[in-house]
Amino acid sequence: MVRRRNLLTTLLIVLPWALLLTLWHQYPATRYLILLRKETEENATAKARFNGTSLLREEGLPSCSWQQASGVAPKVIQNYVYSRPPPWSDTLPTIFVITPTYTRAVQKAELTRLANTFLHVQNLHWLVVEDSPRRTNLVSNLLEKAGLNFTHLNVESPQSLKMSGPSIPSHKPRGTLQRNLGLHWLRDSFNNTQPPEGVVYFADDDNTYSLELFEEMRYTRRVSVWPVAFAGGLRYESPIVSPAGKVVGWKVVFDRNRPFAIDMAGFAVSVRLILERPQATFKLEGVKAGYQESSLLKDLVTMDGLEPKAANCTKVLVWHTRTERPMLGNEGKHGFSDLRMEV
Amino acid sequence: MKSLLLSRFLLLLPWGLIVLLLLDTDSSRAPLAPPARPPRPTAPRQPALPPIYAITPTYSRPVQKAELTRLANTFRQVARLHWVLVEDAARRSELVSRFVSRAGLPCTHLHVPTPRRYKRPGLPRATEQRNAGLAWLRQRHQHLPPPQPGVLFFADDDNTYSLELFEEMRTTRKVSVWPVGLVGGRRYERPVVENGKVVGWYTGWRADRPFAIDMAGFAVSLQVILSNPKAVFKRRGSQPGMQESDFLKQITTVEELEPKANNCTKVLVWHTRTEKGGMSEDVELSIKVNQKSVKRY
Repeated sequence: MVRRRNLLTTLLIVLPWALLLTLWHQYPATRYLILLRKETEENATAKARFNGTSLLREEGLPSCSWQQASGVAPKVIQNYVYSRPPPWSDTLPTIFVITPTYTRAVQKAELTRLANTFLHVQNLHWLVVEDSPRRTNLVSNLLEKAGLNFTHLNVESPQSLKMSGPSIPSHKPRGTLQRNLGLHWLRDSFNNTQPPEGVVYFADDDNTYSLELFEEMRYTRRVSVWPVAFAGGLRYESPIVSPAGKVVGWKVVFDRNRPFAIDMAGFAVSVRLILERPQATFKLEGVKAGYQESSLLKDLVTMDGLEPKAANCTKVLVWHTRTERPMLGNEGKHGFSDLRMEV
Repeated sequence: MKSLLLSRFLLLLPWGLIVLLLLDTDSSRAPLAPPARPPRPTAPRQPALPPIYAITPTYSRPVQKAELTRLANTFRQVARLHWVLVEDAARRSELVSRFVSRAGLPCTHLHVPTPRRYKRPGLPRATEQRNAGLAWLRQRHQHLPPPQPGVLFFADDDNTYSLELFEEMRTTRKVSVWPVGLVGGRRYERPVVENGKVVGWYTGWRADRPFAIDMAGFAVSLQVILSNPKAVFKRRGSQPGMQESDFLKQITTVEELEPKANNCTKVLVWHTRTEKGGMSEDVELSIKVNQKSVKRY
C-alpha cells in the first residue's frame, strides 16, 4: 500500500518536470521570438525617421542621417518605395559610394540593379554624379524611389571628355570630373577636424558588386585594395601580398609600370584621408590609359601603406562587367518608340 | 506545516511554469513566421503572399558568377521569391553549387545539358533548362489540391529587373504581360492595350507573331502551369523568336492576357546583355594600339 502510494507521488512529481523539459525543448526559440519582435518594432520607427531626411535635392547639402539627430520631422513620401536598406546605425562607419553616370539607353537599367544591390548595405550613402548640364528627371526619380540614402550631383564634361563619345588611346579618362565633384562634396560637407568614420568607394554603374565587398572595405584605415575580375584583359587583376600581409606588387599584365596597377573598383579610401589631403584628386591632363587610379592614389598613400582585403587578396568580390550597347536599329533615324515612356 | 506548504508549492511550480510557457508560445508565435524560415526583408505583417518562382537558365562562362550575384542581390529584396536555377550542364558545377549555398534566398539548383546538335547559333536557347524548371514545379505540386497560389516567370541571368516588377506580377490570375526595355531593336517592346485588354503588339521585330513578346515580358500563374501539364517549350518546328509564342498559345489566348505596369506604359524590366570581355574601353584600345605597333616590326 505504502509502496504504491510512494510510486504515485514520485510519478506526480516527476511528470510535470518531464513535460516542462519536453516543451522547453520543442520551443527553444520562444525567448528569441520575443526579442525579435521588439527588434522589428524598433526597425519600423528607425525606418520612418530615416526616410524623411533622405530627400533633400539641393546640391552640396548633406542629405542623410546627419540631420536625424536634430529631430527633423519626416517628410511625406509620395512615391511607393519597394524596399528599404537596413536601418542606419550610429556606430557603423559609412560607406560613401561615388558613381559617375551618363545618359544612354541602359542607364536606368544599370542604376536600377545597382540600387538593388546597395539596398542590402547598411550605412551606405550613394553619391550619384551625372555627366550632364542639369540633373535629369530619370535619375532624380530613380533615386527617390529607391529608398536609399543619396546625394544627387551633376557636372558636365566638356565635349572632348564626354563619356558617351568615342574613345581614343591618347585620351582623357572618363568620369574624372564627376568623381572629383564627389570628392569635393565630401570635403565641403565634412570638417577635417572631426572626420566621420567612413570610407569612399568609386563604383562605376556597370560593374557588379558582391555584398561581401562592402563589409571588407568598411573598416579601411587609409587605403584598402582587393582583386578585380575582368580588369586589364585578364580573368582578374590583383595586388601581390607578402606573407606578412603587405602589398608588394601587382599581378597584372597590362602596363606593369603603373605605380598603382589597380582598377577603379579595386580600392577604397578612408574619408579621413580624403579630408586630410584636400589636393588629392583625379588628374585630367596627361593621364595615360590605366593611370587614372594612380593619379589619385599617389597623393594619398605609398604601396606599403595599402591594406589588402578579401582574405589577403585571394577572393574576387567585384567584377568589371560591361553592358552591351543595345541594338536599337529599328528606331530609325527619327526615333520610333514613344519618348514619353521612360526606358 | 511549513514543510507541507513547501512541498505543495514545489508540486504546483512545474505546472505553473508549463502554463506560462504555453501562453507565451501562443502569444509570441501568432504574428511572426515560424523561426525555421529565412528572415524576410519586407514588413512581416502581411497576409500570405503568393510565391514567385523565377526560373533562370544559366551556363558557364566568365561572367556567370557576376550575373548570378547581381541577380541574387535583386531577388533577395523580393518577399517570397523562390529561385529555380537550371544549369546547362551534365552535372552541377561547383561554382553554382557554392553560390547557391550562400545565395541568401530559397533556391533550387537543377541541371540539364543541351544536346550538342541544338547548340548552333540561330537555334532557340535554354529550352531544355526552362522545361526542367517547369517539370520541377509540376512535380513538386502534383499531389496538392488546386488552386495553388503562386506565379512563375522566366528570368534570364543577364536581364535587369526592377523591384516594382515583382509586385506587378504577383497578382497574376492567369497570364500577365508588360513592356520590356531594349529589345526588338527598339527602346522597348510592349503589348498594345485598349480598355484594359491586350489588342496587339508594339514591337520592332516580327509583329505578326501570335504573342510578340519577349521571355522577360510575361508571367504565368502556377495553377495554369499545373492545369496544362503538356505545355512546354518546344524544339521541333520552333524558330528563334517564336519560343514565347509557341509556349503561350498552349496555355492562353490574347484576350485572356492581363496587362500590368499601368496598362503596359511603364518599363520595369530591361533586356540587358553583358559583354564577354569586360575590361574598360580605354585599356582595351590601348592594348589594341600596342599590338598594332608591335605588328609593324
